[in-house]
Amino acid sequence: MASFLVRNGLILVVLVLVPVFVGEFWAYQLGLYFLYALAAMGVGLAWGQAGILPLGQGMFVALAAYLAAYGLLGFGSSPLAYLIIPAACIAVALFGFAFAVTIFRGRSEQGPSFSLITLALTLAAFQVATTWSSVTGGFNGLRNISGLPGLDGFLDLYYLIAVVLALAIAAVDYLVRAPIGALWRAVADNERRLAFLGYDVAALKAAAFAVACGLAGLAGALYAPQQNLVTPDLAGFAFSGDLVIFAAAGGRTAVLGPAIGAIVVGALSAELRDRFPWWEIVIALFFIVVVLRLPAGLMTLFARLKRLSIARSPAPRPSRAPDKPRIAAPLSVAFDEVRVRMGDVTILDGLSVRTGDEAVLCVIGPNGAGKTSALNVMTGALPKRGGRIVIDGVDVPRPRPAAVARSGVGRKFQTPSVFQKLTIDENLAIALWAGRWRGLDLLRPSLFGWTTPLLDEMRRRFGFLRSGAKPASDLSHGERQILELTMALVTEPRLLLLDEPCAGLSHEETAAVIDAIQWARHELNLRIIIIEHDMELVRRLADRVVVLHQGRFLADGSVEEVQGNPDVRAVYVGGSR
Amino acid sequence: MESLVVTQAINVAYEVLILAALVLGLAVVMGLLNVLNIAHGEFVMLGSYTAYLVQKAGLPYLAAVPAAAVVCGAIGVVVERFLIRPLRYDPFETLLATWGLGLLLRKLVELGFGRGYRSVDIPISGSINIFGEAYPTYRLVLMVVSAVVLVALFVWYLRAPTGARIRAMVGNPVLAEAVGIRTRQLARNTFVAGTAWAGVAGVMIAPLTPVEPFMGLTLIVNSFFALVVGGMGTVTGLFAGSAIIGGLQSVLTAAVSPTTAYLAMLVLSILFLWQRPRGLFPRP
Amino acid sequence: MTQALFEIDRLSGGYGSGLVVRDVSLAVGRGEAVCLLGRNGVGKSTLVKLACGVLRPAGGTVTIAGREITGRPPSDNLGAGLTYCPQERVVFDDLTVAENLTLMRDNRRLDAFDRFFEVFPRLSERRRQHAGTLSGGEKKLLSFVRGLAEGANMVVIDEPTEGVQFENVVRMADLIQSHKQAGMSFLVVEQNLTLVERVADRIVIMDHGDVVHSGAAADMARDEILSYLTV
Repeated sequence: MASFLVRNGLILVVLVLVPVFVGEFWAYQLGLYFLYALAAMGVGLAWGQAGILPLGQGMFVALAAYLAAYGLLGFGSSPLAYLIIPAACIAVALFGFAFAVTIFRGRSEQGPSFSLITLALTLAAFQVATTWSSVTGGFNGLRNISGLPGLDGFLDLYYLIAVVLALAIAAVDYLVRAPIGALWRAVADNERRLAFLGYDVAALKAAAFAVACGLAGLAGALYAPQQNLVTPDLAGFAFSGDLVIFAAAGGRTAVLGPAIGAIVVGALSAELRDRFPWWEIVIALFFIVVVLRLPAGLMTLFARLKRLSIARSPAPRPSRAPDKPRIAAPLSVAFDEVRVRMGDVTILDGLSVRTGDEAVLCVIGPNGAGKTSALNVMTGALPKRGGRIVIDGVDVPRPRPAAVARSGVGRKFQTPSVFQKLTIDENLAIALWAGRWRGLDLLRPSLFGWTTPLLDEMRRRFGFLRSGAKPASDLSHGERQILELTMALVTEPRLLLLDEPCAGLSHEETAAVIDAIQWARHELNLRIIIIEHDMELVRRLADRVVVLHQGRFLADGSVEEVQGNPDVRAVYVGGSR
Repeated sequence: MESLVVTQAINVAYEVLILAALVLGLAVVMGLLNVLNIAHGEFVMLGSYTAYLVQKAGLPYLAAVPAAAVVCGAIGVVVERFLIRPLRYDPFETLLATWGLGLLLRKLVELGFGRGYRSVDIPISGSINIFGEAYPTYRLVLMVVSAVVLVALFVWYLRAPTGARIRAMVGNPVLAEAVGIRTRQLARNTFVAGTAWAGVAGVMIAPLTPVEPFMGLTLIVNSFFALVVGGMGTVTGLFAGSAIIGGLQSVLTAAVSPTTAYLAMLVLSILFLWQRPRGLFPRP
Repeated sequence: MTQALFEIDRLSGGYGSGLVVRDVSLAVGRGEAVCLLGRNGVGKSTLVKLACGVLRPAGGTVTIAGREITGRPPSDNLGAGLTYCPQERVVFDDLTVAENLTLMRDNRRLDAFDRFFEVFPRLSERRRQHAGTLSGGEKKLLSFVRGLAEGANMVVIDEPTEGVQFENVVRMADLIQSHKQAGMSFLVVEQNLTLVERVADRIVIMDHGDVVHSGAAADMARDEILSYLTV
């Protein structure tokens, strides 16, 4: 916290002192680039953190600028005019949230689709703005907008903008370090994993976009009194493109990157565009270089400095996470004649199977028997074509990953699925917060200190989990398997789905994992469904074994019963292996 | 009245065919290779400037066709080698890189030729009477050329193995290499074919449109959204998208106003991007 | 052993910086079938990927008919007389079954495949369908037929029987046998003893990225092989 205040206090002081060094006229000019910096920071937050690139932020700047212009005309010199700024900012942010959540809801693909929609939207907005001249002033825009009351001269407004920018930088700085920032980076990294932990991914992405829109709104609201003029050009494609270039050139992943990009590139462009015709070619080339091999943009220059100044805040004090409201009984699942088809291929062919009294159910069967598909259809990763799936006594016609997870189902995938770009601690923390955070918790950095006895025990069993600052991408395959298992366990599910939990693990690791699973099942009183090829593991863990073959139920019973079953033997000897 | 209907119908057909010719290069690059080449309009623009230079030099207009193909193809080779290949043909990354490329090409042309409009003389003057209405010959020639090229390409794509090999390479590069497809060369050639054709399309439209550094922007918008609506990677998608976007533009422009036409196209595209991002006839 | 057609000499490599395969040597003679066995994850697939140029080896050489092909792009393999059928993503899902087979041919006639269609009528029935709609086993059959029909002297196949029904595994074995007699050589990564027992002239067993056993198939009893495969 102290370093946060020092850092952002310093930025404020620098911004306030600028006019002393550059003079009034330049300070006034800089004010405009500070506004661009606000909007570019929004682009940086959505793109660099949450991985969604907005190509039409100009539209939101324009919207807020017009709102502010009309507000200033209406309020005249009443001090109420100041309310326009937060009002425009909030209105635009809410609009952005509603828009984004509508687009994101119900789809998980991460493609350029959303970016292109924002692009089309801003093109449409520009067209509407130029045509609808009775409101927008058409091509010439709205002129002679009065300034904010009580602010005389260039400098007063500069100070207002500088303070707003400093506050916005601090706010973004806070957000990216808060739990929600970690969740945004998790969205960009592995959306599916996040949904299977029970998070509402669409809302998280929309929240990032809303913050970006709020910043654009702030820029627009201050633009009107700063320029005394609002034209439809703000909604034009070129301005939105410039904002992306600012964010990329400055460095989209760093808090200050986009702001520095806007100020440096923006101001230099204005200065050099006319005198030095090659300037914009230099900018275009630099942008291409950034895309090709310099994702940190100009911030690459400050990398060393950054390590000095914004050294990671010390780890928050460990605290006991709130208990998860949890029914301490295992969750039951029943499949009734479930069918799944992909194109012409039948994957599940009327599968009927249900959990019983057993705690650990092992599912075996040759490749292509439909084992993983059964888990996929139950958790909503695969659509079913017929039959019923009953989870905990409730018929679920269309399971959704996040909803299934919230009902108490944890899942570990076949190939380890963790947040590669996040640290071990962040991975564990995100799993731990799932279902435990309430209200504004995601804004409280102390959440990083949360722990539970179960997590402590897993850290004790697997030493590598204690080196929490290491990025997950540095882990070996086996360690990633164990990390994901731990993440699934700390959500304290009532049903845990494990797809080949020991694939690629050494003998020692396998033994330790079996031990941990045995321990967790007693500790949590949960049900575990394990898909496994390794019969040794099945023998050690299974209370009951179910054999699937060609998308159907083939046999079940104890390990010995199944091994003695002639049907099962026929399948295994004849089919693969 | 009847003649008005005929003229309108020809106008719609013209818009659709010209759009299809413009979309074609993008369909190759974006539909087949998944490269979102935002700078595609700039390649068309370069083709138009080539036509302008060829005409200014007093050469026959037809000479502009190979010239533009060579100019745009050569730039395509460089762009593929230093931009697209290093980004592993990733749709999102190439979208960003070609955004920068478009900016670069526009500025370079602006530096060389200035911002002003250049006009290219129509190489075939005169008009032909159709049901009593005079229609410019050059436009009719363009329609025929465009239709012939599209049909020829369609037939070639379906019959020649290259089309299947391109699809094979895009779908499964490792296996494509294993069965003997030189994927590097094939991808490069496909990309370059797309940019070269963009140059030729630029030659075709140059006499009918003001040639200026920013002309690519409007072209890319129409072409891009035609593919979004039609669907990527299929010939049917290319035709359907061009027909819908081109037809809609042409009809609404005549019936209401160009602004309404443009807005309608954007709204339609947004709906598609949102609800059906793969378009009407996507590659299976 | 007769003169070796395909030779892997002290080959090492893996993914990124990790070595999965260490100094493995192996040779396949003309008309010979070598089966490469081992538990999951011991480096069998990695070895054949290195040998066929899909992965870049960190060391060692690969030669076919005396010609070194190490580090050459896989698209050159066929010219050198080598065919590779991968373990995963075995067909072109976007193409029809017929297109998958005729992709690299000058014409689209399927006559050349009649003899394979007789053995696997399922493929002929589905020739107009997109290969992506086939089941895992059918894809493996299609990949197998494609590999044999390419007519290379050396065929490398990674797990051809995964998901394939018993009867078709037997038919695959018969086809391999008849092609061997015509002079073709095979390197087959396999877990299915049904196939191994029918085609293998020699058996090579890998563990932890290394060859742990190599010998004539006739000299190895089933139990001995199994002892390497189960934990």
